Amino acid sequence: MTTHHGQRLAETLETCRPASRDRPNILKTLLAVQSAMGYVPTSAIPQIAQVLGVTDAQVAGVLSYYSDLRTQSPGRHLIRVCMGESCTANHGVLVLRAIQDHVRVEGGGTKPEGRFTVEQMSCAGNCAVSPTVMIDEDLCGRVTPSDVPSLLKPYP
Amino acid sequence: MKTTRCYLANDTSSRAAGAERLAAAWSDRSEIQLIRTSSRGAFFLEPMVERDTADGREAWFNVAPNDLPRIVGGMGGMPVAGIPFLQQQTRFTFANFGITEPLALDEYQTRGGLKGLAAARSLSPEAIIEELRISRLRGRGGAAFPVWKKWQVAQQTGSEQKYVVANADEGDAGTYCDRMIMEGDPFRLIEGMLICAQAIGATRGYIYCRYEYPAAMRAMRFAIQKAREADLLDCDDYPFDLEVVTGAGSYVCGEETALLESLEGRRGVVLTKPPYPAESGLYGKPTIVSNVLTFATIPNILVRGGAWHASLGTEGSRGTMALQLGGRVKQPGLVEIPFGFTLRRILDQFGGGMAPGSRFKAVQVGGPLGSLFPESQLDIPICYDAFAEAGAILGHGGIVVYDDETNMVELARHFMAFTADESCGKCTPCRIGSVRGREILERIQGGRGTAEDLILLSDLGETMKDASLCALGGRAPYPVLAAIEHFPDEFKSKLSAFSRQQ
Repeated sequence: MTTHHGQRLAETLETCRPASRDRPNILKTLLAVQSAMGYVPTSAIPQIAQVLGVTDAQVAGVLSYYSDLRTQSPGRHLIRVCMGESCTANHGVLVLRAIQDHVRVEGGGTKPEGRFTVEQMSCAGNCAVSPTVMIDEDLCGRVTPSDVPSLLKPYP
Repeated sequence: MKTTRCYLANDTSSRAAGAERLAAAWSDRSEIQLIRTSSRGAFFLEPMVERDTADGREAWFNVAPNDLPRIVGGMGGMPVAGIPFLQQQTRFTFANFGITEPLALDEYQTRGGLKGLAAARSLSPEAIIEELRISRLRGRGGAAFPVWKKWQVAQQTGSEQKYVVANADEGDAGTYCDRMIMEGDPFRLIEGMLICAQAIGATRGYIYCRYEYPAAMRAMRFAIQKAREADLLDCDDYPFDLEVVTGAGSYVCGEETALLESLEGRRGVVLTKPPYPAESGLYGKPTIVSNVLTFATIPNILVRGGAWHASLGTEGSRGTMALQLGGRVKQPGLVEIPFGFTLRRILDQFGGGMAPGSRFKAVQVGGPLGSLFPESQLDIPICYDAFAEAGAILGHGGIVVYDDETNMVELARHFMAFTADESCGKCTPCRIGSVRGREILERIQGGRGTAEDLILLSDLGETMKDASLCALGGRAPYPVLAAIEHFPDEFKSKLSAFSRQQ
């Protein structure tokens, strides 16, 4: 964690500090940290636990439980390819492969400093216009493998 | 120049289908005024553009940016009332869809919104619950428990603080009607929750929404703010506070006790029942947890009366159901109809048959914990009882059609892998059973499985059904065993050569 990151973490946690009679909410706090920093570094667990007045293990337990909480910094853009049943029936796996190939060729990789991080998701709720790809908060439907280059182009 | 008012859906799936591209392409065109509405749910026609005529709305389907002159010129459109997919539906909960602007409270009211709440506020809590008892409404989330019974328990349990929680963790693959409601008619959800609060005496409400629905959360937060400004969030002169809370990608948080654990900020682990949340739920207080579609169904019951609701549907399944078609069907989209239509009729009449060039193999109803139906079983009526008898569930109404290219062994492995990923770990049959089940299916898929493996999988499935704490472990074996039952040759042909000779 850089100093800059450390400062942002401290600021975020200050807004999550429970008032004296309120109960601490670990999940809400972790989502706030992720929203501010893009991920929740495991090195921040003791600090988060201290602010909330809970144990490190409680924070680590919640952090490891939820699949949408990430402990590593994603690339500049997060691509989530839906692997739900409707997308699967409509050959979403071919779209996933095309995206993985494209990202590999472009050298974006899934390294923290890379352009894209590619993940699978279980259902985006976009089943009527599947297959679905979610890029950051944008949802794209009826995606075919040949759409992939133009689909990713607007995301520098 | 004359400006033509045109309507274009702003729903996530419509945008994903190209509505956003149209809006961007036409943003500087002065000949049209674009009104962003909810979607009618005929997603196979999206992006769809509508305009007013003397005889109601007219629509253009699968519109591309260069179709604008035709639309402005009024050429080649079709009356919305003449679209069979929509015209053959019975829309109550989804009556506003495609017509109103989602966040316009005045439009919601003009079309009858808030009348259910007004009716509830003139009734005693007991009378509201009695109306629901008469309506015979059952929860639309999956468990299909009679709504009034839950409310009665919460109402009769004494407590200074009670809660109303909308389960918007719509995780079943193949379902999207809760997302549509939150994005397209958010005040309907708020109204349903307020009626519940009025009946049980709750002062706080939460909408627990999955992380994957950012647009739905934005719409709900905006609608709550508008409702607050309009002084709607007042229950008998004490403030009712409503808040949207974000989930974090755990399927099992759709189970009510796990959801409440998650709402308190902990790991979303399933708890043993009793106590039921209606007696002791969030922070140990009486809590009603119902799915978004259930709450959205309630305002109409208060306006039209419980007897009206009970007059629709079949003996054990009253009212309408929102079915969501997806997969390899020609016309995917939202279908609201009374219970009782056969699955075959739904697929033919609304689904329009198979997508071009594909042949039917099986249909999955009720999400990953539902069941698979082959062609020979399509005459089952859509209702809770017939599905229970068939060992299936209607779940949240998701219907996904598979074509003959589908590999059933891979699909079965996909189901088990999903459960293994999503198991909360609380009970052994689910935690370990799902992993062992996945391993067996991987073995079969790799050509290393034996005939004993199929027997083992069946045994394992029965154990999970009988001994799991919640529906995740308890229902996970159903689609897997159904795949083996209906497509045995696919599994047998994958077994190791040695095993097949035996």
